[in-house]
Amino acid sequence: MPQHETMLDDVAVYALGSLPPQDAQRVRAHLDTCPECREEYEQLRPATDALAYSVEACPDLEHGAVVASPLLKTRIMDRVRREAVVPPRTNIAEMRAVRPIVWPAYAVAAALLIVALITGIINISLSDQVRQKNADLALTQAHSRLLARDLANQRIALADLVAADSQRYGVAHGQVVVHGKRLYLAMDALPPPPKGKVYQAWTLRSGATRMSPSVTFVPDRSGVAVVSVPVDASRIAAVAVSVEPDGGSKQPTSTPTFVLKLS
Amino acid sequence: MARVRARDAAAFEALYDAHHRLVYGVAMRMLGDVAGAEDVTQAIFLKIWSSPHLFESGNFAGWLVRITRNRALDVLRSKSYRHEELPEAQPAEEMLEETAFAHIDADRVRAALAQLPPEQRDLIELGFFGGVTHDEMARRAGIPLGTVKTRIRAGLRKLRAALEGTVSV
Repeated sequence: MPQHETMLDDVAVYALGSLPPQDAQRVRAHLDTCPECREEYEQLRPATDALAYSVEACPDLEHGAVVASPLLKTRIMDRVRREAVVPPRTNIAEMRAVRPIVWPAYAVAAALLIVALITGIINISLSDQVRQKNADLALTQAHSRLLARDLANQRIALADLVAADSQRYGVAHGQVVVHGKRLYLAMDALPPPPKGKVYQAWTLRSGATRMSPSVTFVPDRSGVAVVSVPVDASRIAAVAVSVEPDGGSKQPTSTPTFVLKLS
Repeated sequence: MARVRARDAAAFEALYDAHHRLVYGVAMRMLGDVAGAEDVTQAIFLKIWSSPHLFESGNFAGWLVRITRNRALDVLRSKSYRHEELPEAQPAEEMLEETAFAHIDADRVRAALAQLPPEQRDLIELGFFGGVTHDEMARRAGIPLGTVKTRIRAGLRKLRAALEGTVSV
């Protein structure tokens, strides 16, 4: 095999991030001097980045519902909100109190300068607005995809809840429904939790000794709540629900509303 | 990211909502345990919050994947999960020519991966998610090092071609 062809193979392994440090340094130095290898690298690198999407944590029930704990977001956002900056408010009254002083001899020149400045500011402002709108659009698209996914999940949940082959377990104020690997809480006439509290689901993995925290929820006004518990039901030995402080707890702090052992 | 740099918590929350599945998914696949994956996810997002200037421009998701993979590799090193040599961290600061796959999603990548011959797909997944060097792949598979390299290159080129319709520059 020609020597340069071997180097192109090394570039591919480097793009994948699988070269030992000393080989990686050699390839990186070569990329600085070889346009052909650099082009190959720039072709392959996005493909390796894309690999990550194949394992994206997936709330789709069809894929086992691998999701991060809601408590993780709570922990992160608690710190972020503590450090966030509240946007300053402009004091209009103070602005109006400051009046510009203009000397007549320079009025025309000053006016032209102001027009030029305003034009420049408008241009900068418009490009900032375009960038901002693009960023907002990207976020809106991401939210749209999440909404579409939620709708798909709701359709799956509805089908599971009415399926003849679903297993149903009676519990206080409702049922636990299991269909394949998916698990739902179908609560009815569930009293509203006290102020500042929510209901929280707990799951016990087969072989585990401690309950793991799961989703929090509140029933609607008629006491109904249909909750998809993000867990592989085939690996769960028990499920429980308790009343917890808003935001959820790491371990139960109240007597569970129910504890159900799954057969 | 401009609003995150301005310490806007709402903008950061939207960014978390849009990207945390990617970060958590990669960490979970590489480390294989919930606690480790949550630690990595938390560290990554708090790093973005405390040092948003680390991302300058380019493909944000690609940058995010790189720093997540590097962080997970650090955890594998620190925990001494494995004894063999781990690959070098991928440079996160590197800016390519802004090439990225637009409108990409998990289903599309899974479908593209499924089209690869198993001997190529297995090596690519082992290298990217397993944090395994090419030497270790050759040893485990019992095949020559040169074969490992050519299979990886061929697989990545096919993957690129399969995703080509979604490329934006």
